Amino acid sequence: MFTAETGIAVNFTVLDEQTLREVTTRDVGAGGRQFDVVQIGMYETPQFGANGWLVPLNDFAANDADYNIDDLIPAVRNGLSVDGQLYASPFYAESSFVMYRQDLLDSAGLAMPDAPTWDEVAEIARAIDSDETAGVCLRGKPGWGDLGASLTTVVNTFGGTWWLANADGSIGAAQVDQPEFAEAFNFYVDLVQDAGQTDAANSSFNECLNLYLEGKVAMWYDATVAAGLLEANDSPVKGLNGYALAPTNVTDTSGWLWAWTLAIPVTTTDQDAAWEFVSWATSEEYINQAGTRVPGGWAAIPPGTRQSTYENPDYLAAAEAFAQKTLDAMLAAPIDNPGTTPRPGLPGVQYVGVPEFQDVGTRCTEQFSAAIAGSISVDDALDACQEIASEVST
Amino acid sequence: METVTDRSDEVRRLQRREARRRRIPLLPALLFTIVVTQVPFLFNIWYSLTDWKIVPPSPRKFIGVDNFVDLFDNRFFREAVLTSVLMTVTAVLLSVLLGTLIALLLDRKFFGQGFVRTLLITPFLVMPVVAGLIWNTQIFNSSFGVLNWGLDAVGLDRVEFVSRWPLWSIVIVLVWQWTPFMMLIILAGLQGQSSSVLEAARVDGASASSTFFQITLPHLRPYLELGVLLGSIYLIQVFDHVDVITGGGPDSTNVPYFVFQRSIGGGWQFGQASAYSIVVVVASIIIATLGLRVLSGLLEGEDAA
Repeated sequence: MFTAETGIAVNFTVLDEQTLREVTTRDVGAGGRQFDVVQIGMYETPQFGANGWLVPLNDFAANDADYNIDDLIPAVRNGLSVDGQLYASPFYAESSFVMYRQDLLDSAGLAMPDAPTWDEVAEIARAIDSDETAGVCLRGKPGWGDLGASLTTVVNTFGGTWWLANADGSIGAAQVDQPEFAEAFNFYVDLVQDAGQTDAANSSFNECLNLYLEGKVAMWYDATVAAGLLEANDSPVKGLNGYALAPTNVTDTSGWLWAWTLAIPVTTTDQDAAWEFVSWATSEEYINQAGTRVPGGWAAIPPGTRQSTYENPDYLAAAEAFAQKTLDAMLAAPIDNPGTTPRPGLPGVQYVGVPEFQDVGTRCTEQFSAAIAGSISVDDALDACQEIASEVST
Repeated sequence: METVTDRSDEVRRLQRREARRRRIPLLPALLFTIVVTQVPFLFNIWYSLTDWKIVPPSPRKFIGVDNFVDLFDNRFFREAVLTSVLMTVTAVLLSVLLGTLIALLLDRKFFGQGFVRTLLITPFLVMPVVAGLIWNTQIFNSSFGVLNWGLDAVGLDRVEFVSRWPLWSIVIVLVWQWTPFMMLIILAGLQGQSSSVLEAARVDGASASSTFFQITLPHLRPYLELGVLLGSIYLIQVFDHVDVITGGGPDSTNVPYFVFQRSIGGGWQFGQASAYSIVVVVASIIIATLGLRVLSGLLEGEDAA
């Protein structure tokens, strides 16, 4: 369709997430000049932008009436900008929230607040946990974007942080050995061991989704995009679910913020053609086209990027059960101040906006996952992670 | 007398020239090998002496042997070395042991022998990534793996196998893949045994076990050594199984996986990763040299026979 309208031919390379990260980082960072448009995440966008690797988009957006930059959800736009300059255009965005089986909670006489605390969620999870149905599904699989994402939102709202920030924004002393981090991690491990799913150390989004669809868990804390799958026409739990904001402890909000975006490397050969593609693929018009064309219908369109999506009657009709809760979660995501202390690097909620986090987060969550499995102790995992995180402190 | 020495000198010179002339066609291959292996290795040595990182971008600075000093200070590298050694030693020994047992059974004549042998070899023909994925998703998986289905069936508690025993879950898959290879080598050894010696032993009234321990086993020794050597060289560099079964972690990150994580796997510390890989190359050369000595001993033995 894009080619028919503009006469610009597009060649795609499809990669899995890990390979995508390797290829785009090498291509954009080391000047590979292989791509005119790259798909990157909210973690990479501000970093690559600040490094001068990406074409700034404000001018393009201002001169493109169809794009309507002010329609982007503010938290998402902030997360993709450095000093007010947008560096990538989102085609998908998510926050995190609690999904729960309203029917199971009702029959147990339990009620979930709209904005629960972690203590309330833990209490409900332990009360409803049984041999057939686990109380809650939490991510336990190693990976900075798997266990790392869920756990970091918990650490944030318990007042903990991975690192202090130096005055210039660089990485300060590691804080994994501090009481707040330890309290958050102990809380997470206890909850998942007491009332969590089986083989928690091996589960992430897909595993929890399956367990929830099979009725083997009563609650699930994960990405907002999951709601669309729980309410899909072929879902066995369609219409049985309630949704609540990400649980908090000492902060006001705690949901994460993530987006997949299209960005233009400065090495591109044709910035205008690249923008035309980016603008088309992330426009309101594209979302409207997708609503009538994708097999899953309106409920399956790429959500979370534009406010117009949440004003579209077709979408609201199809996504009635979760659209408003998703928008609430997106708007509440604390992208500018995720915790109680300043963070090093660029903004980020469920990660720290420094390039070193990818490596530190992955290696630490390997330790944490082993503690969740019970093959090493919680204290050993925290000690090892403190050591890993300290390697990059300055 | 003099003429004889002159002539033998002349012969030797001619022979040397002939030998040189014959080697000329090999030159392009030699050059190619040097270009694709030795030149990158020289670059690698240079990188290992710098603090090169891609992320965050920083100027490449010469820092001497700091990377190597850090390396031996790094407890996670030491743990990876220990994991590599444990993984290789247990997997090699177990697969040699099992391979020998199966080879002894296969060495007897029975109906369908060829068919059974082919079946037994198949695990070795499966791609490592595929083997890892099949074991991980269809056997070890705690929700729908065969292992837990079996435990359920006999009324035992379910086991989260990969999470609780990461090292053993990888070793089991490695043993499954490498037992057939060991079996083939040992089988070749068994079939090379002279039947007259075995017959003589039988006539002399030797028991089956003393025949095995005093005749068969000494005869198999070079074959066992070859199996251990080749197995060690391959298994010390196992990466696929770790990646798809556990994805790293305590007790399952071995040295190759560690180097991957430090470089393109998210660490982007190319200077450090180069230093790690040089240590790995040196260690491999030591093992391979020991191994080649065993191997040449084996070949000489063949010549003598």
